[in-house]
This record gives sequence, C-alpha cells and structure tokens, in this order.
Amino acid sequence: MSKFLNDLDELVKNNVISKNIANDIQTYYSSQKEESPNKLFAIFGVLGSLLVGLGIILIIAHNWDTFSKGIKTTFAFIPLLLAQLIVGYTILKEKSNTWKEAAGVFLFFTVGASIALISQIYNIPGNVSTFLLTWLLLCLPLVYLLKSNALAILHLVFSTYYVLKAGYFTGSYSPWKYFLLIAFIIPFYLNLLKNSPKQNIASVLNWLFPISLTMAMGAFIDTSATYGFLMYIILFGLFYNIGKIPFFNNDRLRKNGYLIIGSLGTISVLIMMSFKSFWKEIIRNDHQLSQEVYIAAILFVAALSILIYSFKKKWVHELNLFRYVFIIMAVLLFIGFGNLTIPTVLSNILILFLGLIAIKIGSNKMHFGILNYGLLIITALVIARFFDTNLSFVVRGLLFIGVGVGFFVTNYLMLKKQRTLQKKI
Amino acid sequence: MKKKTLFLVFLAIAVIQLIVPAFMVYNNEDTLTTGTLYKFKTEPVDPNDPFRGKYVTLRYDLNSFASNESWKRKTPIFIYIEKDENDFAKITTVSKNKMDSSNDYIIGKVRWYDTYTKKVNFRLPFDRFYMEETKAKPAETVFREAQRDSLPNNTYALVAVKNGHAVLKDVLVNEKSLAAYVVE
Repeated sequence: MSKFLNDLDELVKNNVISKNIANDIQTYYSSQKEESPNKLFAIFGVLGSLLVGLGIILIIAHNWDTFSKGIKTTFAFIPLLLAQLIVGYTILKEKSNTWKEAAGVFLFFTVGASIALISQIYNIPGNVSTFLLTWLLLCLPLVYLLKSNALAILHLVFSTYYVLKAGYFTGSYSPWKYFLLIAFIIPFYLNLLKNSPKQNIASVLNWLFPISLTMAMGAFIDTSATYGFLMYIILFGLFYNIGKIPFFNNDRLRKNGYLIIGSLGTISVLIMMSFKSFWKEIIRNDHQLSQEVYIAAILFVAALSILIYSFKKKWVHELNLFRYVFIIMAVLLFIGFGNLTIPTVLSNILILFLGLIAIKIGSNKMHFGILNYGLLIITALVIARFFDTNLSFVVRGLLFIGVGVGFFVTNYLMLKKQRTLQKKI
Repeated sequence: MKKKTLFLVFLAIAVIQLIVPAFMVYNNEDTLTTGTLYKFKTEPVDPNDPFRGKYVTLRYDLNSFASNESWKRKTPIFIYIEKDENDFAKITTVSKNKMDSSNDYIIGKVRWYDTYTKKVNFRLPFDRFYMEETKAKPAETVFREAQRDSLPNNTYALVAVKNGHAVLKDVLVNEKSLAAYVVE
C-alpha cells in the first residue's frame, strides 16, 4: 500500500492524475486503515464475550449442590445485572459499535445463564426448546436496540437450534413459532443488505438464512413424506431464484448462499428421485390436504412470483433450466403417484441436462468452479446408476472412463481458451 | 433513536429480563414454602441438558387413572390429589378442566387413553431433577440398588403443590436425599 501511495506523487508529477484526486485517494486509504483494527477489535470483543458467556453457562450447568439456595439465586442475578450495567453504560456514553456488539453478546448469555440456574434450583420442568424460546424472547429487542450484527447471528443460530430441538423426533408437533422468530430479524437483514451489502456480515447472513430454513423445513413434515419432498423441491427452487436476483447474482459467487444451497439442494433431491426405489417406497398419494401441502403451496407462490418478477424486470437473459426445474420436479412427483418408470427416467435425464448446463455456464463465464460442478453432477449421476442398474461391469467401467476423460478434456480446453484470451489482451 | 429514548427502551427490556427470572424464583419459592408437600413414588434415569446441566428424569408410579371419557394426546389433564396415611399422593379424580374442589391439583399432560382398560395415562409435570454433574449417573445406579432391597417403595419425590403449581423439592431414597445418598 505504501508503495502505491508513493507512486501517487509520480503520477501527479507526470500529470496522469490531478493533485485533488491524489489527495482523495490518500484520505480514502487512510480512513480504511483506521477502520480495519476496529473491525478486528469488534471480532475479538464478540469472541471474548461469547466464550465468557458460554463459560458461565457451563460452570452453572455443573450444579453446585453444596451452595445454599440463596447463594445460588444471588449468582443467577449477579452476571445478568453486571451485563445490564455494561450495556446501559454503552448506550448512555454512546460507545462504539465494538462495545455494543461485545456487551450485547455478553448480556445475551447472562440472560440464558440466569434462567438456566433458576430452572435448575427449582427443578423447573420443560425441555430445551421451551427454555430456548424464553431465552430468545427475552433478548429479541436487543438486536435492534444495539444494532448488533453478532446478536442477529446469535438469534438466527439459536432459533435454528430451537426448531431442531422442538421439531424433530417430537411426533406431530410443529414449532410454528420458529417462523415468528425468523420474521423478527428480517427487517434487520434487509436493512443490512440495503445499507452495507459489501460487508462480510451480509454474506454471513446470506448463508445463514437459507441454511437455517433448510434445516428447519423438515420439522414441519408431519404426516406426508411425499409432500415433505415437495416442500424441499420448491424451497430449493425458491433459493435458486432468490440467488439469481441481480443484487445477489452480480456479487461474488461465494457470497451467494441462496444460489449455492438452492443448486446443491435441487441436485441432491433429483439424485434421490433418479432411483426407482424412491418412487416405489416413499412416494404415495396422500389424499388429504396436510400442512405440508399448504407450506409447499406458499413456497410455490413465492418462487413463482420471483420468477415472474425476474421476467418482468428482464433479469432473465439465457435459458437456465436450474431456474425452472422445481416446477418440472413438482410435476414429476404427481406423475409418480401412478407411474414409476416415467419419473425415474425423466429425473435421470434432468440431472444429465443440468450437469451439461452447468458445464456450459462455467465455460461461458470462464469459471472453473462451475465447470467442474457440472462435471460432478454428471459423476454423481453415474455413481448413482452404478448401484442400482443391471448394466454390465464393462459398460459401467466405460461410463466412468468417459466421465473421467471429460474432466480432463473440458478443463484443458477451458485453460487453453483462457490462455489465448489473455494473449489477445 | 435518540440516546435518551434508546436508554429508556433498554431500561424497560432490562427490567423485563430481570422480572422474568425473578418471577420464576418467586413463583416456585411461594409454592415451596406455602404449598402442601406430597410424596410420589418414582424411579430415576440420567440424561443431559446442554444449558442446565445433568438431571435425572423421574418416572412416576402414579401415571394413570380410570376414566370413562375419551382423552386426546398431549392435552392438559387436571389431576386432583389427596394424601394417604403415609403422605403419599393419591388421586381422587381427573378432569379436563379446573373443578370446584378444595383438593390440591396438578396439571399433567395426557400420554394416551386406553379404550380397552378405560384408563387415561398421563405425564406429571415435575419429571426433571437437576443434580451435580458427577452425581446424576450414580444416582441412577443407587436407585436400582435401592430398588433391589426388599423394602417396597423406598424412592419417592417430595413435591410442593399450590394452586395447580407443583415444585419438585427433593428426591429421597430410604428417607435420605438422593444427592446425599450418592455421596455415601
């Protein structure tokens, strides 16, 4: 950086840039420099609070039964009050974001520690999920009050933990409150995307939201596995189409959790659908309108709206099967009620096409990652067929060799293309 | 938001954050001190809670009652109890709603209704007994051994009950607190 700043003088001398521009550049970089150690402080502050908070909870979990009830109760409130004092001080003195983040995280954990200890003293019944819900509700407003990214992440992570604890292996119980918890931080998320989309924290949430929803969706499968699959098919379609919105799509691929999870999820479900046993054993016509059907319907409307909106805004330039495949898959699922062969064969063809499309996108964009992703899709298809078809070993062997050679050839061709392009420049 | 309003809002949140645990303390302490103590025959097993530590799950002998009504799973059940001659809880009646009765009651959860035996099976709410982490596992063993003794019903839970609220006070094996019993 210093070398670059030294070059500025030379550029000014040779009239490449004006003196004003040189000054602007200098102030820009010096302001950036000031910000970076602050960011580091914030991360360490939050990490410190997180560890201390978790430590307190663990020490409490030991259950110090030699202490009297009075002492234990006092200890339930001391860390909480201390954390509240720190947060109060932070607000009154208008301390920096670093303070707010760290103090907020500390308060979050002391609230948990306090109700954990009291539950312990009085043997208060109720499982982990009810405990988590009380905890989350008590700390909800802090996210907005302190404008804390760390608290938003904690809220999302713990809401996911709640839905996993409350929704799986609990019979027919569906933890609908999860959606309320998630809905609560959406304004915070949207605000973040609007005001500071380039921040790392935005891309962290771009990943956490789809991950959380993917994990949570299974908790709402009650009676019908078939419609449960339908929910996931459409959810991944929705993610992919969100990821294709230019706002996300024009940024770097690794920041686009929606696109990647949508695409990987779609392929995973399709691979399952390419097995005949999937249609034979899992898919059946559950006649009644269960909650899965309603959820799937809501997701479908959402995905379709984004698709239509994208067309209206002329965001769709090329024919990309990934965008629409959820509709085809949904139709296949209904065909599967009466027929095994058609959906099995069509699923196989779909995977092959999607693999080829990914290869094409990769080579158009000169992106080795996407190119090899396409090849991996085809590899997955070949491996899946390796297990359940009666093809002779020779044919299977040839298929493998074919895909393996494909890896070499496509990568080599693209490398060559890249080199010739670089030479032209 | 201005600093002052921000702080006032925070103050309100902080108060709620304090009131909720304080109310938990008050509510349970009140039942413990002014409620009636009952004994429930029980058997413990040892699981784990990531935040609140180790506990023993208590299974109670008192877990069903004859009823001609049909019961839906997971609905609340009002269990009216009185003491027998040894202070053990004895069910007088069960109901789907709160009744006009001077007897103490506990609110449990229906597990199932057996139409053949005409019995409703339920779960009592005080099924967790938190213990020091090194003692929870031995507690289970101690219980099993105590059970092997010829004395019947030597493990029971001491529960304070007031206005439908029940607080598990202690678990006793051969008239000794489970925690103390484990140490020996």
